[in-house]
Amino acid sequence: MTSHPPLDGTGTGGAAAVTVRGLRKSYGGRVVVDDLDLDVPAGGVVGLIGANGAGKTTTVECLQGLRRPDAGEIRVLGLDPRRDAQRLRRLVGSQLQSSALPDRLRVGEAVRLFAEPGARSADELLERFGLAGKRRSPFAGMSGGEQQRLFLVLALLNRPRLVILDELTQGLDPAARREVWASVAQLRDEGTTVLLVTHELAEAEALCDHVVAMRDGRVLDAGSPAELVARHAARATTTFSGPASAVDDLGGLPGVRRATAERGLLRVEGDRASIAHVGAWLVARAPELGGVPADLAVDVPDLEAALLRLLDSPAPDRAADDRPALIGAP
Amino acid sequence: MATTAPATGTRAPRTRVPSVTRRLISTELRLLLREPMTLTFVFVFPVVTMLIIGGAFGTEPDEAFPVNPSHWYVAAYLATVIGSTGLVMVPVHLAAYRERGVLRRFAAAGFPRWSFALSQLVVGAVTTLLGITTLLLVAEPVYGVPTVEDLPRTLAGIAAGMLLFLALGTLLGSLLPSARAAQAVGLMLFVPSFLLGGGGPPPAAMTDVLSSIAEWTPLSLVTDSIRDPWLGLGDGTSDLLTVCAMAVVALALSARRTSL
Repeated sequence: MTSHPPLDGTGTGGAAAVTVRGLRKSYGGRVVVDDLDLDVPAGGVVGLIGANGAGKTTTVECLQGLRRPDAGEIRVLGLDPRRDAQRLRRLVGSQLQSSALPDRLRVGEAVRLFAEPGARSADELLERFGLAGKRRSPFAGMSGGEQQRLFLVLALLNRPRLVILDELTQGLDPAARREVWASVAQLRDEGTTVLLVTHELAEAEALCDHVVAMRDGRVLDAGSPAELVARHAARATTTFSGPASAVDDLGGLPGVRRATAERGLLRVEGDRASIAHVGAWLVARAPELGGVPADLAVDVPDLEAALLRLLDSPAPDRAADDRPALIGAP
Repeated sequence: MATTAPATGTRAPRTRVPSVTRRLISTELRLLLREPMTLTFVFVFPVVTMLIIGGAFGTEPDEAFPVNPSHWYVAAYLATVIGSTGLVMVPVHLAAYRERGVLRRFAAAGFPRWSFALSQLVVGAVTTLLGITTLLLVAEPVYGVPTVEDLPRTLAGIAAGMLLFLALGTLLGSLLPSARAAQAVGLMLFVPSFLLGGGGPPPAAMTDVLSSIAEWTPLSLVTDSIRDPWLGLGDGTSDLLTVCAMAVVALALSARRTSL
């Protein structure tokens, strides 16, 4: 049997907003979340990433008390999500995947419905999220971006200490997505703990201080986006037109692992630092090459590349590593 | 910076829950007035069919009708309003909310699941009473509203019928997977119930088989438990007790479904 660290969240480098130990959830015979341990410290934006079916949404639904775990323990802000659902109501703001409001409910009515005594000023929030002029608009008459911003308003209305956002920008056009990202960045700047569930890796990279990569209901790895990229997709590639004779020269540069030439195109692979060395080499050789090559291209790996590598890797051995995903731990 | 100390117990649910329920009820009542299907089925359909059927058999009692046929139907159509609310409006509304994720949205905001079910019971009751009032207001100048012979038993019949059908509606809405399914099943249950249970031909015009079936449909029992004490055709006690027993079972089942 797998042993789990204590539920008090010690080891996170700070107080935990969310602590999960040994969470297990299955639907029928299909295990969706499998013995998951997770710590999310207070403050900042933490992303749960992974392919569809990784168990992200089920995990947060258990955190929100919407699903009863088969096994395991959960503490959200020190409380049990199912037993203390009423007390958590004002402490956690949620935006759910595939949820809606009644079609004919107007924005102003929605705000009144969800506001608890002592809630923030609805006018201020609606103004901040660009919905001040939409008070009388029915939910069904709003664009996708406006609906998502309304969900953000409702999630923030009762001054929550934790905000859970599940596939926040799903189905939005690029402009609307940017608008919503800016709103989440604002939350981060205010110090609200945000748990962001997404399979949009550009979103996770843009917004999250830390990410937890999941597959098959388990945590594959966790850390800052940069750490995940460094661990799983560190290789950068620089390509440009040049003489094949330059291969030896380029291959000897610091950080370069391999340099090849094919049909007049030089390809240099190495770590991220190698890009600067290749750049310096190009500047120094510019007179010989007739200037910096116009087809110079640099492919720097991102979180998507890192996740793809992670997803291709063998399943982690639980016995060998039974630590929780310690987000923000040194 | 947010902190994560456990929440204090100062926000006791006891003071919050009624507030949530009240807000849900007032919101749902407002939304009801913007719902064309509800307005049609609960307010228009019973009134129009009552006007047609109520005038089809004249005003003199005969073998089929122990009292003025128009009065017979005016009293019977109260049950039609109850049935259309419970079998069509409530399940479609509830299933649509579940299908579209509105209930998840409420649950994630910490609204107790039963608070929504309770709001539906209250909204359904208000809708039914408004529908009944509308029906009587329209019937009065056309056919006249018959004198109520036994008011307490008539009111008990209305109350028990409302409870039974609202609980059935809540149960159907919590079981059926989509609004379309709820509409299909609701109409499939409502139309025969309506035709056999008081809104259609009188029992004397039915075959023995149909008449036997009609006698035991829940809507027939509700119709009899309202119409008999109202028109002085009997005290309707056995029908009322059967309706009450069915209501208790339906309420228990729907409470179990909505509190999961």
